[in-house]
Amino acid sequence: MAGSGTVQLRDSDDIVLRVENLVMEFPAGLHQVVHAVSDVSFDVRRGETLGIVGESGCGKSTTARALVQLPMPTSGTVLLDPGDAGEVELTDLDGEDLRCVRPRIQMIFQDPISSLNPRRRVKDIVGEGLAIWRDEHPDVDVAARVDEVLGAVGLDPVVAGCRRPHEFSGGQCQRISIARALAIDPEILICDEPVSALDVSVQAQILNILEEMKERFGLTLVFISHDLSVVRNVSDRVVVMYLGKVCEIGDADTLFSEPSHPYTRVLLASAPEPSAVVDASESAIGDEIPSPIDPPSGCRFRTRCPRATEICASDEPVMREMGSDHFVACHFPGSP
Amino acid sequence: MPLLSVADLRVGFATQRGLLRAVDGVSFDLAEGQTLGIVGESGSGKSVTAKTLMNLLPSYARVDGSITFDGRDVRAMASEGERHFWGVEMTMVFQDPMTSLNPVKKVGEQIAESLRVHLKRSRKEARDEAVDLLQQVGIPEPKKRLTQYPHELSGGLRQRVVIAMSLACSPRLLIADEPTTALDVTVQKHILDLLDELREERGMAMILITHDLGVVKGRADKIMVMYAGRTMEQADTTTLFSEMHHPYTEALLETIPRIDMASHARLVPIPGSPPDAVDLGPGCPFAQRCRYCSEACIPDRPDLKQLGHGHACACHTPVGTGSGTAAHMANQNSGVTPAGLDMGMFSPVGEEA
Repeated sequence: MAGSGTVQLRDSDDIVLRVENLVMEFPAGLHQVVHAVSDVSFDVRRGETLGIVGESGCGKSTTARALVQLPMPTSGTVLLDPGDAGEVELTDLDGEDLRCVRPRIQMIFQDPISSLNPRRRVKDIVGEGLAIWRDEHPDVDVAARVDEVLGAVGLDPVVAGCRRPHEFSGGQCQRISIARALAIDPEILICDEPVSALDVSVQAQILNILEEMKERFGLTLVFISHDLSVVRNVSDRVVVMYLGKVCEIGDADTLFSEPSHPYTRVLLASAPEPSAVVDASESAIGDEIPSPIDPPSGCRFRTRCPRATEICASDEPVMREMGSDHFVACHFPGSP
Repeated sequence: MPLLSVADLRVGFATQRGLLRAVDGVSFDLAEGQTLGIVGESGSGKSVTAKTLMNLLPSYARVDGSITFDGRDVRAMASEGERHFWGVEMTMVFQDPMTSLNPVKKVGEQIAESLRVHLKRSRKEARDEAVDLLQQVGIPEPKKRLTQYPHELSGGLRQRVVIAMSLACSPRLLIADEPTTALDVTVQKHILDLLDELREERGMAMILITHDLGVVKGRADKIMVMYAGRTMEQADTTTLFSEMHHPYTEALLETIPRIDMASHARLVPIPGSPPDAVDLGPGCPFAQRCRYCSEACIPDRPDLKQLGHGHACACHTPVGTGSGTAAHMANQNSGVTPAGLDMGMFSPVGEEA
């Protein structure tokens, strides 16, 4: 773990999304609280792809959902266009105001089949956002826009438009989800494990489509996955999360060539074909991730960390700079 | 003599649209102590092959071909109702450890069950052996775990319990069907390493089924690449990676991102989706998705040709040979393969073919 702090935030005028001190807690009965996300801060530059990686239960999906206020975070701020005249603080909005901002952020989910309404035709699914926002954009031709985005994701609008989701394979359904997200011209696309449920051969198709769409529609992506090699492939900047905290954040090339946090090194060493920059023996940690109801004191990773000492139990490590655009929250960073 | 010998295995399921050929003429041998990796995407027939070996297919499946285990006819044993073969000499570890454990029985009882049924151990002996097995699969505090239920364990621990169960009767062949797909990234490698260590200690043979060539690269002695129920390529692991001949093997390897690749490296997708197993047509099942497709591939299904040293490949235009290069060049020049696949699929982003 995993630490707090905001030094990793960049002072730049092309930041499109800034998350500061995000906390997400859920009641767990008996006056207990699940600390799903605790004090997470990061920012995303326009046109950048931010990858969030970690094992299950680390809070990566909760973070993604908190960005779109699903549900509202317990505390912390989510800013769109920070520092601009049009700065929007999502966490302050509710009701109609929030609804009006939502078209700017769209999301695609892990299971493409269950995220599409089985009773509706593809063109209605893809066009729904446009239909809802017709009053605001009277000049948009809904049918033409639906055809455009379906074509962009590699589906034939004439054939696909009138069919229903069950007539498509998983990969094709994920293309439809992407088309639906793109239809209302969002600025930010949040992808929550978009390829985890897909077959290997289809995974590359979807990753390539996301890359093409990013270029074509000028998107900013937040890409969540448990698969390091997928994150490595799509991201410009990577956040490594563990038990609701950020461990390491930095430029993708730096982070993968000089992983500094012991947890990042564990992840890299655990890949089926481990990265050359870590030693295979570094994958040796316990199986059990501690409960987020009662997270360890100090650094949350200390219970599984090979480098943990007393200070890790008493003091929570704060984010510090390791190099240019490379930040880590650890008392003993670097290679062993 | 090999421990397991499968010859011309065919498995079909009758559907309303016709016969679905899940496995279509697969043959392989596996020696004692060796690991065979079976690789392919979903629907390629890997799991059906494993289930056929384990006699787990539903009664309406149509099985043909021969399976010999240590000189015994496995299919004959199945029809005679042999009870002490599967689970004793040949066992299996499944993909999802939650659904392969009984949620209302304690872990210890589940491990002891096969010992009591197959090896007629007493309650106490079985319990002691269960503790021993849990220790071998690296579960801390094995005594305490015996009295726990599956839901009290994490995914990784559950899969270790499943492995302990499968090892209880000291099998000679262990079949692991995607044993790590449902597990967390940090645990996957541990489980694969554990299986490998146990195989070595006990001298078992193992069949490791996966969709990721990277997983079997350092672990299997032999690899069989399956597609649409057929063997596409078969070879020793080192031969397969150094002299890859089948376009599908190459495509599988290129389509998976690797950690050591640069950011935004263009992945080479396998276009389209696997063929309909009910209506395969006469030609090569991979022709519609293949960069090396030639005129011959569409009407004529290639046979599995032996290339020597156990390397076999079913392709008219293998990668790295004259005919393969020529077919690829011709397709690149015309921009479209004889099967109608647009070669532009394979060009880098923004560059239209």
